[in-house]
Amino acid sequence: MAAAGARILLVEDTPTQAEVARALLRDLGHEIRLAESGAAALAQALEWRPDAILMDIELPDFSGFEVMRRLRTEGLESAIIVVTAHGSVNHAVEAMREGAVDFIVKPYAKARLTVTLANALEKRALVSELAEVKAQLSRDRFLGFIGGSPAMQAVYRTIESVAASRANVFITGESGTGKELAAEAVHKASPRRQKPFIALNCGAIPRDLLESEIFGHVKGAFTGATDNRLGAARMADGGTLFLDEIGEMPLDMQVKLLRFVQTGSFQPVGGSKAERVDVRLVSATNRDPWVEVEAGRFREDLYYRLYVVPVEMPPLRERGADVLLIARHFLASFAREERKAFRAYAPDAERALTAYPWPGNVRQLQNVIRNIVVLHEGARVEPAMLPPMLLRLGAPRGLEPEAPPPARVGPPRTPESVPRIGPESVAPPTAWIEPAPTPAPAETAPQVFEKLAVVERRYIMTALDHTAQDIPRAAALLGINPSTIYRKLQGWKAEDERG
Amino acid sequence: MSAALKLDRQPSQPQPWVDPRIAKCETWIVSVIDPEIAGQLAADLPREDFVRILRTFEADLGRLAQQLEAAVANGDQEGYRRAGHSLAGAAAAVGATRLERVARIAMDHHNPADPRALSVSVRQEAAAALVELAALADNPPISR
Repeated sequence: MAAAGARILLVEDTPTQAEVARALLRDLGHEIRLAESGAAALAQALEWRPDAILMDIELPDFSGFEVMRRLRTEGLESAIIVVTAHGSVNHAVEAMREGAVDFIVKPYAKARLTVTLANALEKRALVSELAEVKAQLSRDRFLGFIGGSPAMQAVYRTIESVAASRANVFITGESGTGKELAAEAVHKASPRRQKPFIALNCGAIPRDLLESEIFGHVKGAFTGATDNRLGAARMADGGTLFLDEIGEMPLDMQVKLLRFVQTGSFQPVGGSKAERVDVRLVSATNRDPWVEVEAGRFREDLYYRLYVVPVEMPPLRERGADVLLIARHFLASFAREERKAFRAYAPDAERALTAYPWPGNVRQLQNVIRNIVVLHEGARVEPAMLPPMLLRLGAPRGLEPEAPPPARVGPPRTPESVPRIGPESVAPPTAWIEPAPTPAPAETAPQVFEKLAVVERRYIMTALDHTAQDIPRAAALLGINPSTIYRKLQGWKAEDERG
Repeated sequence: MSAALKLDRQPSQPQPWVDPRIAKCETWIVSVIDPEIAGQLAADLPREDFVRILRTFEADLGRLAQQLEAAVANGDQEGYRRAGHSLAGAAAAVGATRLERVARIAMDHHNPADPRALSVSVRQEAAAALVELAALADNPPISR
C-alpha cells in the first residue's frame, strides 16, 4: 500500500480535535472520514474498511478500547492508533493489548502524527502482504481445484504466473488428475476470462472429423456437410482453445495445427479464404510429450510451439491430505445432490481413503464417493461401505468389511441396471468391480500386496470382460479415459511380444 | 479573523471570588495558551485551516460551556464530567492550556471545587484563550 491515498477513519467526538487532525492530515493525500461515537466508528469501520483508524478512547457511548475489541472480533485488519490525552504507561499497555499498533498523546504536532501514521500504514501493508503470501502458500482452493498440498500449490503458482500472458500452455498428467480443470483455471485467471473457453478432446473425435471440429467447414465440403459450421478455433476467438489428448492427433492434422499456431489463421474445410482469430492455446496429454516426439508420433516443431509453459498435474497419490479434502467435498456435494444424510467419514474410512494409491486419480475418487452416497444410508461413511479394493490396499488390518448393510431391498443390480446419477457421471455405481477371483472371507483374508501394474492390468482386463470388450464403457466403469486403455493395451501387447 | 473571534481581551488573572483551588491551579501556568502547541499549529497549517480550527473551537466552547452549566444546574454529575472532558480535549488541541486545566477539574470526581464557580472560570478562560488565539491567527509564527 502506498503511504499516500490511504483510508483514514478519525474516531473523535470533540469537533476541535477532529478539525485539528483533519487539518494536519490534509496535505498527505489520504481519504479521511470522521466517526463521532463508538457505534458510528464500528459501523463506518466495518463498512468502509479503513487502512488506519485514529481512535480516541473516551467516546460518548462506549470506550475506544471497546470499539477495538469489537472490531478485532469482526476480523478488521485496520492499523489502529490510539489517541489519548493520558501519556501513561498503563494506557499505552492497554492500547497495545487491544491491538493498537501505536499510540499518540494529545496534543500532537504534525510531524509526530505524520510519522506515527506512516509507520502504522507501513506495518499494516507488511501484515497484509504477509497474510496474502501465507494464504497463497496454504490455500486449499483455487479456481475450481481443491487441495492444499505443496504439489498443488506449485500448480496454482504456475497457473497464476502464466495466466496473464498469451503464452501457450501444455498440461501433462495422468488421467483424472484435472488437466481440463487446469486449462479452465488458466482461462479464468487470464484477461480472456470473459471470452469463450472451448474444449476439444482430440482422442474422442474420429480422425476424419478432427479438422472440421477444429477449423469448421463450409456447406458441401464433404458428404453430410449440409451447412456451414463453425469450428472450435472460431468459437474460441478472443478466448482459449483447449486441445485435450493432443497426443492422439494424427500427424497430418498436426501440420495444419502447426500452421494455425504459427500464423493465427486457418482455412475451414472446403473453404477458400483464410480466417484469422485470436486464440490462446492450452494443450494436454497424459503421455510424455517428448517421448511421443522421439517416437515420431508428435511433430517436434509443434511440440516447441505448444510446450511453452508446462504445467504438470500431480497424481492424487502424491497429494497427501488432499485426498481427504477432496473426498469431503465430494461427500458433501453428492449427499446434497442425492438428498442423503452423509456428513463425514469414520476415522478408519479416512485412513483407507488416504492409504489407497488412486490409480484413476480424482476422477476415480469422485466415482467411489458417488457410489457410496448412492448405495448406502447413514450420517457417516463407515469402512464397510468402501469398495473392497480400498480395504485390501489401503486400510489397516482388521478393517475388512464385515457385512455392509444392504442399502436397498431387491435383486443385486448389474451396472447397466443402476440409473445414472447425473449428467457428468460416467461411471455406474459399481466402478470398483471386483477384479480378482472370489475373495476369501474378509476376516481370514491375508493382506495381499501385488505390484500396482499387475493390479491395474487385472482391473482393466476385468472391466473389458465385463463390458464385452467395449473400451469406452470399460473406461467409464474405471473412471478413466478410453485412450488410457488403448495405450495400456498397446503397451501390454508390446511387452507380451517381447516375452 | 472573524468578528466573532475579535473578542475583548479579558483579564487573565483569576477573579477574587473564584474558588481558590481553581485559582491555585491557574497560578501554575503563566500564559493563557501554550505557544509550543498553538504556535506550532499556526506555523504548520495554512492560515485558513488554522482559522477554521479556531471557529470550530469557538463553537465547541459555546456548546460545551452551556452543557457544563446545564449539568451544574441539574446536578448531573456524569454530564458535568463529560462536558469537562470535551472542553479539556478541545482546549488541549489548540494549546489553550489554562482552560484545559480548569476543565480537567470538572473531570475529577474527587476534586471538591465548586461546580458553579468552575463554570464561571471556564467562561473566562475560554474568552481569554479565544483572544490570544485570534491574535496568533493574525500574526502566525514563521513556519518551521
